[in-house]
Formats: sequence, structure tokens, C-alpha cells
Amino acid sequence: MGEGIAGRAAAGTPVAPAAAPSAFGQRWRHLDKSSWVWLLAIAVLLFLVVNPLFRLLLASVQEQDTGAFTLANYAAAYSRSRYVDALVHSLVLGTSSALLCLAFGLPLAWAVSRTDMPGKGLIWISILGTFVIPPYLGAVGWMLLAGPNAGWLNRFAIELTGMQKGPFNIYSMPGLVLVTACYSFPYVFVFTKSALDLVSSEMEDAANILGCGNFKATLSITLPLVLPAILAALILVFLEAIALFGSPALLALPGRFHVVTTQLWQFFEFPPKVGVAAAYAMPLLAITVFLFWLQRRITHRKGYVALTGKGGERRPIKLGGWKWPLLGYCLAVCTLSFFMPMVVICQAALAKAWGRGFRLDNLTFDNLYFTLFENTLTRNATINTFVYAGSAALIAIALALCIAYIVNRQLVGKKLGNVLSFLTMAPFVIPGIVLAIGFYAAYTRPPLLLYGSAWILILAFATRFLPIAYANSNAAIRSINPELEDAVRILGGTRFTAIRRVVAPLLKRSLAGAFILVFIPGTRELSSAIFLSSINTQVLSVLLFDKSDEGNFEMLAAIGVILVLITVVFILIGFRLMGRDFMLRRTAA
Amino acid sequence: MRHNAIRCFLALLGAVLTIAAAPARAEMPAWEQQLYDAAKKEKQFTVYTAHYDTETIADLCMAFDKRYPGVKCNFVRTTAQVAYQRFQQDLQAKLAVASVFSSTDVSHYPDLKKRGLLMQYQPHNLAKMVDSLKQYNDKDNYYWVTASALVVIAYNNSLVSEKDAPKKWTDLLDPKWKDKVSIGHPAFSGYVGTWVVLMRKLYGWDYFEKLEKNKPQIGRSINDTVTMLNAKERWVAAGPEATTLLSRDKGNPLSVIYPSDGTLLMVSPTGIPKNAPAPNAAKLFVEFMLDKEAAEVQVKNHQLSVIKGIKPAPGAKPLEEIKVMRPTEEEITKGIPEVKEKFRDTFGI
Repeated sequence: MGEGIAGRAAAGTPVAPAAAPSAFGQRWRHLDKSSWVWLLAIAVLLFLVVNPLFRLLLASVQEQDTGAFTLANYAAAYSRSRYVDALVHSLVLGTSSALLCLAFGLPLAWAVSRTDMPGKGLIWISILGTFVIPPYLGAVGWMLLAGPNAGWLNRFAIELTGMQKGPFNIYSMPGLVLVTACYSFPYVFVFTKSALDLVSSEMEDAANILGCGNFKATLSITLPLVLPAILAALILVFLEAIALFGSPALLALPGRFHVVTTQLWQFFEFPPKVGVAAAYAMPLLAITVFLFWLQRRITHRKGYVALTGKGGERRPIKLGGWKWPLLGYCLAVCTLSFFMPMVVICQAALAKAWGRGFRLDNLTFDNLYFTLFENTLTRNATINTFVYAGSAALIAIALALCIAYIVNRQLVGKKLGNVLSFLTMAPFVIPGIVLAIGFYAAYTRPPLLLYGSAWILILAFATRFLPIAYANSNAAIRSINPELEDAVRILGGTRFTAIRRVVAPLLKRSLAGAFILVFIPGTRELSSAIFLSSINTQVLSVLLFDKSDEGNFEMLAAIGVILVLITVVFILIGFRLMGRDFMLRRTAA
Repeated sequence: MRHNAIRCFLALLGAVLTIAAAPARAEMPAWEQQLYDAAKKEKQFTVYTAHYDTETIADLCMAFDKRYPGVKCNFVRTTAQVAYQRFQQDLQAKLAVASVFSSTDVSHYPDLKKRGLLMQYQPHNLAKMVDSLKQYNDKDNYYWVTASALVVIAYNNSLVSEKDAPKKWTDLLDPKWKDKVSIGHPAFSGYVGTWVVLMRKLYGWDYFEKLEKNKPQIGRSINDTVTMLNAKERWVAAGPEATTLLSRDKGNPLSVIYPSDGTLLMVSPTGIPKNAPAPNAAKLFVEFMLDKEAAEVQVKNHQLSVIKGIKPAPGAKPLEEIKVMRPTEEEITKGIPEVKEKFRDTFGI
């Protein structure tokens, strides 16, 4: 599908050999040498995204054994109302979680970025902690909090009001939406916050001078300025919600409904129907295309340039008495997503037998000690997890930045630009299981034999989270006025000089944010890792998931706690090393 | 190796007194020595297994390494479908990774055998196997039962007294267990699939129509029932004996009942892939699995012993005293796809 277009375009860009040698020589001299980097980026994109996607498309129209062309897979994938229902459930889940994420993430981002609300550090750390919790671990925590019969919240409610049955049921669509939103809203928070950090107070001042109150200025000036970031985050959250496997498997099945991913899983039952699974995944791709089109429609031809290089001051808005209700709201969100589930999980991690509940004689550190020091499997998996996630984040960001720059500065044609940005975003919507199969099909045969090595995991993670890196880089680059670079070019600098001396320093902070945004999901990525990891390349998320179907809840919680703790510590050390107080510094980079 | 009569005698004595305590072991039979020597040249091998939890297979590998120094046992522990999928992936990629393939889904084996992907071998230790299990081995010697476990009624004993606990499968249909039963899903778990086939065989599909009136909680794996009982979210379950008792060993308030109308016996075969990179080590491992040390490790982890003469773990009922049942191979292979569909119709997922 995309390969043809991108492939042709790659060949058709300026370096393609021209007919006459002299003409070629002339073009060579005038060629901006930086083209090589762009071409390389496009080639990598072909390798990481187009090839696996192409294999997937191919699988959807092939008979499994013979390879003959067929549409039977599509017929099989949509033949039952059950299968179609699952698609509808996924759409409901995606839309509702995206809206809930907005309700959670936006006020928090604004509060932390632009106001003088107290306790910002605490809120920031809790959101970081939330983001680090793998969604299925959070789901397990919530099962214990809001299980209809014995959930802590229900027991508390019964105790308090004397009602017959507790009001909460996590095994339902609202329950699944809540859990999904809890572990996705950090995307909205981080995207919006990093965009808000760049908006100068002068714009709000101008509104104030013209007689506009703080509230109105925020709504009509500040928020519209960060609209691209919000939209990008919403799309990511929507796509993540419909591609999620762990939480639906834990919550939707007992709630007696299917979503796309749990349905997909059944196509992999024996005998696995890869073709049907591929066909079933196609609407997800169509949805991605549609969302992109929508995003373009909304942000088309409006200026979102906030970073002009002309100075600008950023002052916190004084909230007065309003700061307490706002803090209360922030804390409430963090309680739902972080504090309550973590209490439950820590209880299990520190228990000899968690079914016995809180008791001093039930307390032990053995689970944690065993996981970290005695079990070589978990120890190696811990190291692998962080090495892979880190490498994947670096690769994804380098690539995303290149593509975002190419597209925004229109270094290639507009059409090709659109194709590139679609391709960069496409991996996110492919459920990890399916992406893994695509990767598998593409890179397990010569000349690119990657299976069994760490590279296949690193590249799969990088591909899977490329959209996050891209959405972030794109929003960041959009906010930089091209005049800044033009000034360098006019003064005789090359494009690379412009990028190195002007763009990169301005982007440093966004990039640090982007790194974390890819690194964290990398540490908790499950669905693609299940199929691609092998004995020497185990990662914690897979071990964690294994434990969940081994019924060994104490160990599951212990691994979860270790994953969360180490990730948070790593990130904090990272900020220290970068020499910046990432959380609270308010001036632009 | 030095051959010395006195050493040999002492070693034998040691082996009789304590197993695996003495560094010098009893003399291996010639075939075993031969396999061991050949395996040493292969240095290491990999087991794809769905038979055990991670701890048990780690214990088994450790015991193997101790008995056969110089041959390293690696393992990849996953669920049955993932193990099968990986094995297929390896084949497609022309990568030979697994030397031993242990799935809990019995329908995998006839398929692999038919496609000529398994190696023929007659284990010497097959003679040691419990007689009642021998019928589940492949008659052409392409795969052998190496693990066996039970599906039982489990309950949380802090919520349900032993007197009130269900005694047979039909007791789970009693309205007093409304909103209190936990089961797994046949599409996710081979154990649950086989259990559903057995219930259908015993009581007809009516059993599940009635069970649905009690609104059971449906997880994926059969092990999910253990989590639900521990969380007190559900009180009684059709659950796995091994995982439930392992969790009880830690102090969790769980108990099991062996249903009087028939405890489900699960047998899980092992095969050696034809393209096994370490065929000799694989054969040695299969022999090891059919020998005393492996049986003892399994029993300690609440699996059943597949060989004769091993005492059950404390707290577990000896197999002879339990009325076990198992649908025939054909009923299972044919029945599981059918009941998956019917299950989805009845329970809506």
C-alpha cells in the first residue's frame, strides 16, 4: 500500500541519477547535502513500518497455506455479529477513554504549567508514577479496589452507608474506561504541559490589558495555542485504548464483552488464523487514516507558532483562593490512578499470603528480595527491560525528529509529507500482537535475520512508539518559527548549522519529554514482546503477564513494584544528569 | 571417570541413603551414559513449556543441570498457544530453537506428528510410568506424557466452611452460589476446555445453561480462579489443584475438594521437534522427566507424578483414592472447538 508511493518517492528525490552526467554533476553541486539524512530517515521508515505493514496487508488477502489471493479472510473476520460488536465496543472504549483523559489531563497540565498552585512537585511525581505503572498492573489493582463483591471501595461504601451491595463494578465498560483513562491520561498531561510551557505570558497579558479575565484568557488564548498538542495526545490516547490487550483481558471478559484485541487473540488460537487476524485489524488502520484527516482539517491553516525567539516571559497565574479546589482535583485524579492501586499492589508485594490481608505477621520482603537478587531470570529481565526501552527511545526520537522536520519544513513534496506522517503514526494502532507478527514475518528470514536477538525487540519497541515520538516532535517543531532558521541560512549557515545551533537547543526540553514518553511505554510494553522475546531476551512485562496467568499474585505484585520503582528512579536520575529541574522550572529552555 | 570398586560401592550406598546428596553418583546405564556423552557435545538445549509455572520449570532445569553437569537446560515458559505460535514462527524462520516442546493443548501433537515435525524415540524410562497414564502416550512413540495434574473444586476457607463446600460438580449449580462461582475460559485455557468437555459429557450442555444462572465470574486462565478466591471476590471455583495448593502453601486461605462425581485428570505430553538443535540432550531430558528426581520436583510443586512409586506431597490426596475421569483423546480434540463456540453462545463472550 504505502510502500509503492514512498518507495517511488524515495527514488524520485533529488539524488536520483539524472539522465546526463553533466546535469547530474550540476545537481550534485547544488544539492543540499543534508538530503542524505532525510533519505536515510525515509529508508529506515520503509524498513520499520512499511515492510511489516505490507506483510500484514499481504497476509490478509492470502490463503494461509497456499499463498493464493483470497478475500475469504475478510469474510471470516466480519461474518459474525459477535466480531462486529467487538469493533463497536472498541470504538466506545477509545472515545470515552479519550474524553476522560482530557478531563483528567488538561486541568492538571494547566495547573502544573501555568499556575501558582501548591504541591506541584507531588502531583508531577504521582503522574510520573502513574505513567510507569503498566496498565494491566493497574487493572489488577483496580480489580481489588472495585470488585463488585469484595472490592475495598465497595466494602467501605457498605460500611459507611449500610447499603446492601457496593455501587462499584470494575468488570464493566465504565470500569474499563476508567482504568484505561487512568493509565493513558499522562500522555495528555505531558503533551499539553510541554506545549503550555512554551506559551509566553505576554499573550495572556495582551488579553488582560484588553479587559479579558484570567479564565477567559486561558480559554480563548492559551488553550487554542496548544490545540495541536492536545489533538495529537487525544489521537494517541484513543489509539492506545483500542490497541490495549492486558486490561480488557482482565476486565472485559469477566464483564462479558469483547473488544477488538481480545477477539484478535482468539484468531491466534490453534490453528492460528493469521490472515483473518490481519483482515480484522484493517479497520483500525482505516480509523488512523480518518483521525489524521480530521486532525489536519482542524489545525489546517492556523498559526500555532509560539516560540519566536523574540524573548517572552512566563509567569504563573495567581489563582488566589481557587488554588485549593484545583489542588483537590489534581490529588483526586492522582488518587484514582496512582495512590489507591499502588497501596493494593504494595500490600500484595509485601505479603507472605496476600489473601490474608493486612497483618504484621503477614509482612515480608522475601518476594522483593527474591525477584531482585535470587532469581536470575527476573534480574536479567530487569536489565534487558531498561536497556531495550532506552535504545528504542533513542532510535524512535532520532527518526521521528527527522521526519517531523522534513514534513514541517516541506523538504519533500506535500503529498509525500502526508504519507510520511501517516506512516509514522500508523504503528500505534496496530495491536502489538499483530505488529509482532508483521515484524516476525518481515525479519526472520535472510537477509534480515533479527529474530532471537535483542534488536528485534528494540526495533519493534521503537516502531511501536514511533508515533508518540513523532506526535511530540511534530508539535514541538510546529511551535518553532521557521524564521529562526531562515535567519541562520541568510547569514550563510547550512541547514545543519541551523538545526544544531538553533533548533536543537530550543527542542532540548521537548525532546527530554519525548524520550521519557517513549522510554516508559517501552518498559511496560507487553503485547509485541510476548512473541518476540526469547530465552536470552526476556523482559519484565512478559514475566509479569506470565505471573498473572500463573495465579502467583505475590510475585506479580513484587515484579510490578520493582518495575515502577526502578523506572521512577531512572527518570529522576536522568533529570538530574541533564542538569535541569524538569518539573518546576518555568522559563523556556 | 575412574572405575574403582570401593568408590562404586560407596557411591551406590550413598545413592541409596540420600538422593543426589553424594557428588559421586551411581553408575549410569550404558544408554544413559551414551546420551549424556552425546549431549555434552551439544552443551545446551531449550525447552518450550506450558506445563508448569516458572518456578517449577526452573526447579526442574536446576535438577537436570545438577544431575548432568556440562549440559545446560534453558527454558521458555509461556501458555500453550503462545508456545505453539513461537514454535511455528521458528519453523517459518528456519530457526531451530526448541529441542523439547511441551504444550498442554493435546490437539497440538497429532497436528505436529501429521506434519512430520516430531522425532520418533522410545524412552527407556517409559516402563516406569504409572500404568493408567500409558494409554495417553503416542502409540508410534512421537510424544509421551510427562506431566499430569487435576482440576478440582477450590474454595476460600475463610468464607466457606468445609461442611458447606460443594462436594460434586453439580453442587456448583446450587442457587446459594449465585455471584460466587469463578471459572476460566475454554478459549484461553486448555484445562478449562477439557473441563467443559467433561461436564458436557457427564451432564449435557444443560450444565452450563444452569451454571449461567449463577452468573459465574469468567477469567482467562484456569489460574485466574486462584486470584479471585484470594481476593474474596468469589467463594468457590472450578480450579487447578496445583496452583491452588501452591498458593495455600504460602498461607492463603484456600482448600480443595476432589469432586465425588469425578475429578478431571489432565495429562500433558512432550515431544522432540525433528529439527531439534540438541537431539541427544532432548532425549536425555525426556528420560529425566520420566525418572524419580523430576517426579519429586513435580510432586513438591503439587503436580502429579507420572511415574510409579512417588509419594504425594503433604496435604494432597494420593491418586489411588481419587475418582479421576478424563474424556478420550478424540472427545477432547473434537469437543474443544465445539464447546468454545457453545460457551460463547451461552455466556456471551
